[in-house]
Amino acid sequence: MRMVSKCLLTLFAATTVVAHAQPLRIFACEPEWAALVRVLAPDAEVSSATHVLQDPHHIEARPALIGQLRRADLAVCTGASLEAGWLPMLQQRAANPAVQMGKPGLFFAAEQVKLIGIPEQVDRSNGDVHAEGNPHLHLDPHRLQEVAAALAERLAHLDPTGAPAYRQRYLQWADRWQQRMAGWQSRAASLRGQPVVAQHSSFAYLWAWLGLRQSADLEPKPGLPPSPGHLQQVLSRVRSELPLAVVQTSYQNPQPGEWLARQTGRPLLALPATVMSEGPAATLDGWFTRLIDQLLSASTPS
Amino acid sequence: MKHNKSLSLLAGNLLLCLSVHAADAIKANAGLPLDISLTLDGGFSSRDIVLGGRERGFALGHTELGASGNIDNRFRGQAAVALHRHEGKTELEVEEAYIETLGLPAGLQIRGGRFLAQIGYLNSQHVHADDFRERPLLYRAFLGQHYFDDGMRLNWVAPSDFLVQLGAEAFSGKTLNHTNSTRERIGTYTLNARLGGDLGRSQSWQFGLSWLRNQLQGEMKGTHDHHHDHAEGVAGEAHTHGASYTGRNLYLVDGVWKWAPDGNNRERQLRVSGEYARVTGLNKFASSADVHNAAYLSLVYRWHPQWEAGIRADALKVREPHDDHFHAGQLEERSVMLAYKPSHFSTLRLQLTQQQDRGGFAQASNTISLNYVMSLGAHGAHGF
Repeated sequence: MRMVSKCLLTLFAATTVVAHAQPLRIFACEPEWAALVRVLAPDAEVSSATHVLQDPHHIEARPALIGQLRRADLAVCTGASLEAGWLPMLQQRAANPAVQMGKPGLFFAAEQVKLIGIPEQVDRSNGDVHAEGNPHLHLDPHRLQEVAAALAERLAHLDPTGAPAYRQRYLQWADRWQQRMAGWQSRAASLRGQPVVAQHSSFAYLWAWLGLRQSADLEPKPGLPPSPGHLQQVLSRVRSELPLAVVQTSYQNPQPGEWLARQTGRPLLALPATVMSEGPAATLDGWFTRLIDQLLSASTPS
Repeated sequence: MKHNKSLSLLAGNLLLCLSVHAADAIKANAGLPLDISLTLDGGFSSRDIVLGGRERGFALGHTELGASGNIDNRFRGQAAVALHRHEGKTELEVEEAYIETLGLPAGLQIRGGRFLAQIGYLNSQHVHADDFRERPLLYRAFLGQHYFDDGMRLNWVAPSDFLVQLGAEAFSGKTLNHTNSTRERIGTYTLNARLGGDLGRSQSWQFGLSWLRNQLQGEMKGTHDHHHDHAEGVAGEAHTHGASYTGRNLYLVDGVWKWAPDGNNRERQLRVSGEYARVTGLNKFASSADVHNAAYLSLVYRWHPQWEAGIRADALKVREPHDDHFHAGQLEERSVMLAYKPSHFSTLRLQLTQQQDRGGFAQASNTISLNYVMSLGAHGAHGF
């Protein structure tokens, strides 16, 4: 009898300990935020709603995502209307009070930094422009660090017992990250001032950071797929000043880029717009290294 | 008719009020707590079809003005007024005006007001998100295009990695039975279960079971007297929102499967959906064999961000009550469509619909139509 009650007591103690040590469940809208969460909160259970081969503007509010958001303690998203076509529906359907608008369990990266590309006038005849500005801010390592700092504080707020650890991990990471940034920038110095042709404003922050110039856009208007007529115009515009490369993301249809690359004799680069699902580019460090490597590969004549 | 007039007056005021807000919203841009969306829908069709919701020739379709937003930290609200043609007159109708909880624990959610019933795959989705010009025959025959009503809903979402959702609703039953007065306080009940998830990166699925109980069935005297010859559905009568064929119970099974290479649904996607419905308890004379059945299967393929094509096959089998006996009716319908979507906000659709009378639907017809569905304002997140 004593034995049984002792057993039960141990069992009870064990379950309470487990309940306390329950890892945070984190729903990341995009893989870059999942990667950042893994740096700051390696014990958290993190899922990413999208991956590198998907266009984050056009995700469906799939049943699996509703299930994932239902259990989340924290949702980490980009904001600036990037997820406007699907996140509100997920929030509405998941019935999870923790991740509703204005709650600490909903973190928008775009609210932590100043955005570029804020339009003076929003009119849909100019394409699908975001009134808040360009949401692809994770391609600027400086802004990414600002977001990391804010995210560490948010994690500390949600999980006070872990607060010192989140802040500690942020400081360690930021230290390493700044060295990395300096390294990437010196390696990419030769790219400064060079023109590139790209599709959409996906890489605008990267160009601004490295001093590259987007001389033309494969899209006739933001959010519209490239059309043959527009590609002809792009071709005639870039003939006088050939771009370093034609750049697309890995989720964009490569055909328009291939065509322009053939016509101009410049290489086509399919850059991952976010961290990849596996391989060395599955971390933020590895991903930026890959971006720089790919851009440099275009500038060295082969 | 008086009811209708006051309703359209109310809707008109609401519309005015919303458009004033819409102007503010455009000025203020992001951060405004109200999302305004306007859906323009219209086109041309060569003929009226049986149980069709659109008139032949030039006609507006489901033109809708909606507003939604968080009311405070506990409630969210949404309203929509839609424009209809009814017997040659244009009417405005409040199709949605509801509030919903945001803060209930344990995956619970309560909704109250006027809203679309959570039954089947399509009913709770907005008509402008449909892939075809008309709702499937099943919806046109049994649910008056789409069933919305005044009532309440309780939903529960399970804490699992795939979706498990259970819902129960109670409604006045007035729109389904097209009546203004009834002895019953609660006219219809529904129960709904939904399961869904992903299969790897490229596939996702959803499966649903629903039951709609119609307490008012049989209460209304002569509910079926007015469509002896099955001609009721020919446009004109169509937008009453009352169901053409009713019974005490409606059972629905629905399934959806979507495939997109690597989950990149913007470039390419195949969508397959199908539903089956069975209506029982037609009246006090009905034996267990006297039931209505309907089903459809739809396939839509997107091969370019701006282009989609689809086919849909519909079938309807009814037992038309005639005093103490029943007349059999059977109708088949096939649709083919091609849609051009220049942007995320606009659709132009060419569609051919062929109806085949298998008994009792002598007015079955074929039609070719061209229509547009375009949206302004808020993005409007869509369901799966």
